Order: sequence, then C-alpha cells, then structure tokens
Amino acid sequence: MTQQKSERIMNLTICLLMARRFVDKAHIREVVEGYHGLSDAAFERTFERDKDELRLMGVAVETGSNDVLFPDEVGYRIRREAFELPAIEFTAAETAALGLAASVWESAAQAGQAASALAKLRAAGIDPDPSRLAGLAPRLGAHEPAFASVWDALSDRVPISFDYKGETRRVEPWAMNCRRGSWYLLGHDRDRDGARIFKLARIDSAVTRMGKAGGYGLPSSAEIDEHWQRLEPAGADDVALLALRDGRAADLRQRGIAQAEPAPAGYRTYQVSFARSSDFVADVAAYGPDVIVLAPAELRAAVIAHLQAVAGLVVR
Amino acid sequence: MTSADQVSRLLALVPYLQLHADADLDQTASDFGISTAQLIADLRVLWYCGLPQGMPGDLIEIDMDAVAESGRIRLSNADYLRRPMRFTPDEALSLMVALRAVSELVGDDAAEAVRNALAKLEAAAGTPTSATVAVAGGAAGVREQLAAAITDGRQVCFDYTDAALEPSRPTVAPVRLITSDGFGYLQAWNPQRADWRTYRLDRIAEVQLTELTVPEVGEPPEFDPGWLESSADAVPVTLTVTPQLAWIAEYIPVQQVRRRDAGVELDLLVADPAWLRSLVLRLGPGLVAAAPSQLLASAVDAATEALAGYRAG
Repeated sequence: MTQQKSERIMNLTICLLMARRFVDKAHIREVVEGYHGLSDAAFERTFERDKDELRLMGVAVETGSNDVLFPDEVGYRIRREAFELPAIEFTAAETAALGLAASVWESAAQAGQAASALAKLRAAGIDPDPSRLAGLAPRLGAHEPAFASVWDALSDRVPISFDYKGETRRVEPWAMNCRRGSWYLLGHDRDRDGARIFKLARIDSAVTRMGKAGGYGLPSSAEIDEHWQRLEPAGADDVALLALRDGRAADLRQRGIAQAEPAPAGYRTYQVSFARSSDFVADVAAYGPDVIVLAPAELRAAVIAHLQAVAGLVVR
Repeated sequence: MTSADQVSRLLALVPYLQLHADADLDQTASDFGISTAQLIADLRVLWYCGLPQGMPGDLIEIDMDAVAESGRIRLSNADYLRRPMRFTPDEALSLMVALRAVSELVGDDAAEAVRNALAKLEAAAGTPTSATVAVAGGAAGVREQLAAAITDGRQVCFDYTDAALEPSRPTVAPVRLITSDGFGYLQAWNPQRADWRTYRLDRIAEVQLTELTVPEVGEPPEFDPGWLESSADAVPVTLTVTPQLAWIAEYIPVQQVRRRDAGVELDLLVADPAWLRSLVLRLGPGLVAAAPSQLLASAVDAATEALAGYRAG
C-alpha cells in the first residue's frame, strides 16, 4: 500500500515538475498511472490527499490557469526554481563541520531531520566528512517533555498555548535557545502583548497548537538576539580587592590581576571585577577561608554576614 | 515509515545515484541513514517511476541484477531529477542547530568555518536559524590546544579546579572533547591513576603541551559527567532551602524536590564531602536545615575559620 502510494506521489511530482504550463486534473488522471481505475469520487479524494502530502513535504504545488480569459480552468504545476535546492558549495573545513553535525542530536526526531538534510547535501555533491575533526563529540539533548511540540510549532510557525507558573499563556514562537543544557522559548506573549522568555522545563501542561502554519511574522534576528541577552549574566560593573590563599581559588586568580597591596601570610592580593547584580557574595563565600574580601566595604560586610549564617548552623 | 518520508528520500536518492555512478549499496544506505533492506525497497519503488504516460522508455532505469549480484547501484534515465529538493523547515532547523552545537565545542578557527557553513545553509534555506545553543565550554583557546593535542597524540598538563573547588595540575592523555547537558568536557586517560577521567572544560586553565605521547588506551568509556562517580560511597542528604533558592534544584543533581512550609526540601546523593562543603558555604543564609546535620560540620568549620581571617585582617 505504502509502496503504491509512494510510486503514485513520485510520478505526480515528476509530472508537475516537467510541465511547462499548468496541468489540469483530467490530464493528470490520464497520465499518472496510479490514478487509473479509480471512480471519480475516489480520484478526487486521492488527488487532494496527495497534494496535501506534497505540501507537508515542503513541495510547493502551484495552482493557476494558463488562460487569462478563462481563469476558472484551474491547473497545477511545481516550479523547478522553487523545488530544487539552490547551488551551494562548502570548503573542506565546512564539510568537516557538517559531517560532525550528523551525530549531534540525542533526540531521535531532530537527528532524523538533520540526517535527511545531510542526505540532500550529499545528493547535491557535497561530502560531509567528520574524520577531519576526530576527537570531537558535540551532543545536544532535549529532555523537556514540552520540547517536541514547541520545536514543531517554531518550525511550522504556529501559535501555541500552555500552562506556565500557574497561568495559561498564548505565545507566537519566535526562537529557541539551549543554554547550558536547558531549553528556552522566546516569543510574543499575546495576553501581555510583548516579548517573553519561557523555560521549557517549567511548562506544566500539554502544548496546544492554535491556528495554522505560518500564522504570524517574525522580528529581525538582531531584535531576537537582543531579547536573548536577558539570559546572559550581567557584565562586570564593580571591582573587588581579594586576598587569595596561595594555590587556591584558581578561577578567581585567573580572572584577576595580582596587586602589590599587603596580604595575610600565605595569601596574595588580586583585583577582580564582578557584576553587582550577580551572586558574587555566594561565589566568594563558597571558597570559605581561601578568599578574604578586602574591599569594597559593602561586599566585605555581605560576605561576613553570609559566612556568619553558615557558622551559626546547628550541628548535632 | 510514512510514504511522505519515503518520497522525500526518493527525491534525494535519484540525484544522489546519478552523481555517484556505481554507488555501493551499503555506503548509500548508511549515507541515508536507512537499512540495506529499506534501500532495496526504495529502489523497487523507483523502478515504477518516471515520466508521465509510463511507457517503457519513460521509466527510471535501475540495474536490479547488479544490485543483487555485486551490491552496486546503477540508475539512469532520470535527467529531470538532477538536484535534490530544498530543505523542509524542520530539516533546516535541525541541521543548523546541530552546527551551532559544533561551533560551541571547537576552537576559533573551526568556529569560523562553522559560521560560514551556517550562513550558506541559511541562504539556501531562505530563513535564519531560529534556534541557538550556548554551551559552557570554557575558553576557545583551551579547546583549541586540547583539540590539537588530541590530533597530535600528545599528553597535556593543566590547572584544574574540581566541583569542590579543589585545585590540581594533572598530566593526562586527552582523547575526546564532548558536550553533555550544556557543559563541555575533556575525556582523558590519567596515567598516574591508570584510569579514565572526565574534566569540565570551563575549569581547565593554563594548558601545556608535554613531550609525552598518548599510550594505546582504546576508546573512553560511555560518557558520565562524574556527579556520582563513586556512588558506592555516596551518602543521602536532605537540604532545606528558602523558597527564594528553590531554583538551585535545576543546577545540582537532586533526586527529589518537595515543597514544605519550612522551605523546599532537596534530596541528593553526595559522593564528595568537599563538594557539599562548598555548596553549603554558597547557600549561606538560604540554607534552613540539613539532615543528617553532622555533614554540615566541615562547612561550619570553614566559615568559622574564614571569619577568624576577617577579624585578623
């Protein structure tokens, strides 16, 4: 059954692709063998379904008329320029990266899609070859239950609704971002009438599609990047003077600049920049006695208060 | 498999087989990510496809005898299908995001090649990549040095700060760079310990190439980020944190989270007491209680020692 259907859709595709003009239904029924022997109603049904399948595969079937005087005489065709992959060439370093891309996805659906994109490139004469980048194994997972439906909605551009922090949200997906292993959705929140970022792990309902594919426009890439900036840690806007115990706190030493200021025995002074809005107090406290804040005074006081809370924990 | 999947593949298979004359059956199946049996089924479908009218001379020709006898595929009479179809949106997005993940693990030079490849794919697909990936993979320079050492088969030494903030400077045989859950890691053979070790890339600094070569060590084991490395000695701990710090559960390996009046209870298995000490020091006033509370002793001591340092200084 699948075999015959594949055959029929292949032959329909070739017929529409080879046509120089719009081909009417009666002609298609005559020349594509798979439609032979069907009743009128069965032919109509089958033909409509086949066209839908082609559209789902991304084949643009155009509808139109060859005769301006008789625009009602509808025919079909596939324009070659719209159908074929445009000319594309890659350098050796680029094909090496493409070869590596084949094994990145841990989720089967996306792995399959990437593999079929690479098969198309191979069919266009490109040979993705991962051996140049031996020893590299980038991996990308998607563990969030909502991932698949949000991904599909983004790829189809379909608005979705879901429950988030106890409220139902209606969102037009713009972009997704996997940051440190967690997936985020950026989109236009219809109820709040503005751009919002959602962490997929916090979506606590099924995701419902609202409307049909291509249902809204997207902002520019620059605007999307600007929204994503909100996920990035704030830039440094203050400087601390820290005494670091010798041989310890390597990352602070690396971030900092050694200073001549006196330090307790076994310590050395470093100037380290940090963001006031970040959790720098906790970052410093995590080192315990290996880091002592010398300045600024507010940071020193905050770290002391933080450490006092730990020193005061009850141990039985 | 749906027939849409099959037709989609057939439309790539026809130009592929015209480009690769005498293609090998197994190689073709592997390039398309399908079994040989599926590929033969695909060829049987193509056998009945061709120009409208379906007269014998109109059909795509495949030498099925050569397929059966020598595993070679010879396809002809399909001049009109010389180029593959465009990418579907999902194919384009899946491939481009995979490339972005590649660019996060390579050094600067290779990252530029990836960016160029992405730009070409975006042009071919007609859409920008609407999904991005950010990995904590440390400095590009560190990745570049390690990748070069892997290629050259040389051991390296570097400064390493582990999860408990303990510093060390191991000399290891680097074998693989890998990403897992948003972090980049080095898998290496540690000759001193005679065992495989995993190092987080963002905790590696000051990489130095040594004269030592990489011994014959085979493939590294299945990747394990090492949270529960010695899980035989792991101790169950329950931490209660204030609701404001409930988000910490997303960043440490918790087994269970319960919301209570007193705060949020997190169950975890702790293999490394030093790691727990630095976590407790980090949580500070956000930590309400812990059970068993004896496990807090070393953090309390460390805080007390630190406070003494502040009084002296």
